[in-house]
Amino acid sequence: MKITLTLNGLSREVDLPPLVRLLDALRGPLGLPGTKEGCGEGECGSCTVLLDGAPVNACLVSIGQCEGRAVTTVEGLSDATHLGPLARCFVDHGGAQCGICTPGMLISAEALLARRPEPSDEEIREAIAGNLCRCTGYQRIVDSIREASRERRQAGGAS
Amino acid sequence: MSLADLPLHDMRRAASLDALCGLVSERHARGEATVLLAGGTDWVVEQELKPPRPDADPLPLVVDVSRMDELRGITVTRGLLRIGAATTYLEMRRHPAILERAPMLVEMARELGAIQIQARGTLGGNLATASPAADGVAALAAYDASIVVKSVRGERRIPFSALQTGYKQSSRAPDEVIVAVEIALPPEGSPWIWRKVGTRRAQAISKVALAGIAVRSEDRVVRLGLGMASVAPVTATLFQTRALVLSRPLPAITADALDAAVLSDIAPIDDVRSTREYRKHAAKAVVRGFLRDLGAPV
Ligand SMILES: Cc1cc2nc3c(=O)[nH]c(=O)nc-3n(C[C@H](O)[C@H](O)[C@H](O)COP(=O)(O)OP(=O)(O)OC[C@H]3O[C@@H](n4cnc5c(N)ncnc54)[C@H](O)[C@@H]3O)c2cc1C
Ligand code: FES
Ligand code: FES
Repeated sequence: MKITLTLNGLSREVDLPPLVRLLDALRGPLGLPGTKEGCGEGECGSCTVLLDGAPVNACLVSIGQCEGRAVTTVEGLSDATHLGPLARCFVDHGGAQCGICTPGMLISAEALLARRPEPSDEEIREAIAGNLCRCTGYQRIVDSIREASRERRQAGGAS
Repeated sequence: MSLADLPLHDMRRAASLDALCGLVSERHARGEATVLLAGGTDWVVEQELKPPRPDADPLPLVVDVSRMDELRGITVTRGLLRIGAATTYLEMRRHPAILERAPMLVEMARELGAIQIQARGTLGGNLATASPAADGVAALAAYDASIVVKSVRGERRIPFSALQTGYKQSSRAPDEVIVAVEIALPPEGSPWIWRKVGTRRAQAISKVALAGIAVRSEDRVVRLGLGMASVAPVTATLFQTRALVLSRPLPAITADALDAAVLSDIAPIDDVRSTREYRKHAAKAVVRGFLRDLGAPV
């Protein structure tokens, strides 16, 4: 099945069996290995991407369901040579250790900040409740997202 | 794992609800299965857990209903809230009419899985999977919702009380598509409860969940809806408990009578998530909590 979608702002076409998981389509034919597979059953959030702006588990979405829709992956938050400001905050504030959960965390954080420029810590924790991290104990991730929200507001809302 | 089978399935979209009903019915008549794929948060996970498929077994046809207009959307018409079967929990919890008129649904949706699950999962999927642990189904039980289903034979409404026929069994025919749920809204400001017991992890399936909605008039409860997850082979509607509470003024309801009614309404089991005894304890405690909020001395 030919599927056309907007991926990180660019129109892309793939020809794949429709029930191939979005996760496999991204990491394989679409050439974006930033999105990670952890559990493969919706529990860990390491495969989180934005589908029309909402965070979803790419391991549970079929590529055929993405026809005409906009998908944003972690690659879409930075450019080829520079880390985006959100990712930079994770680096600066210890929000990333082994890094396995980080792409999913960044996407969940992006989804939150796009709607809530000034989230409370409770809102941050709720937004990343579907993203498991074995390393950081979460506090540093919360700190990183809070800091990113502050920087973003200072920069006048631009990411 | 049979996740490898996924790409072998054919997937289609249907041009309209009528076309979908026609397709499902034709295939059903030929003994062929059709999967209506909404959020995939139950079905895709099930594929992974399934044993490998014998080569001879035909695969079901998958029809993507996640964006079928006739199965989507939220409306309120003269006190009747209608939620399309393929509307996501995230859409529900952010919808002005639901925020204003059905706060219990907001809370249920907010605690169903994490946001990634809420952004995909639907009431249609929750109802069709029909797990006794299903949170959405428990909320619908409390609202005494009607389930709107459609097939080539036409559309009909199944009252919640006539929906469940056994463990993961329902009175919906195999070729009936779930179109929407309809809820007769209680007056604004009516007391409600949504309580998931026994877990703090966002993703965990609850050990016991209680959905409740009440309408009070002076010292009596005049409308009461209850739905409880994970305490019986089906979602418990707590019929004896409802009858007890509706039968007398709140001050005359005793803790002992209430506990006895709750215990007669449930049949919990031991499983990996909890024990029978704990579930009984939790069920009594959450119902008491709701009745206490309503003003009963329990
Ligand atoms: C990590 C995780 C956490 C979860 N947490 C919870 C939780 O806290 N509480 C809870 O209740 N559930 C939970 N679930 C289960 C699941 O998310 C819900 O049951 C959800 O409502 C399923 O909806 P769906 O659209 O994803 O269903 P799908 O997976 O798309 O479909 C499920 C079944 O329903 C059928 N179906 C779908 N739509 C229709 C329709 N309109 N008419 C007829 N049949 C239809 C499909 O054919 C399929 O057989 C969780 C799942 C995961 C993976
Ligand atoms: S890999 Fe998708 S949620 Fe874990
Ligand atoms: S940084 Fe290692 S899992 Fe989160």
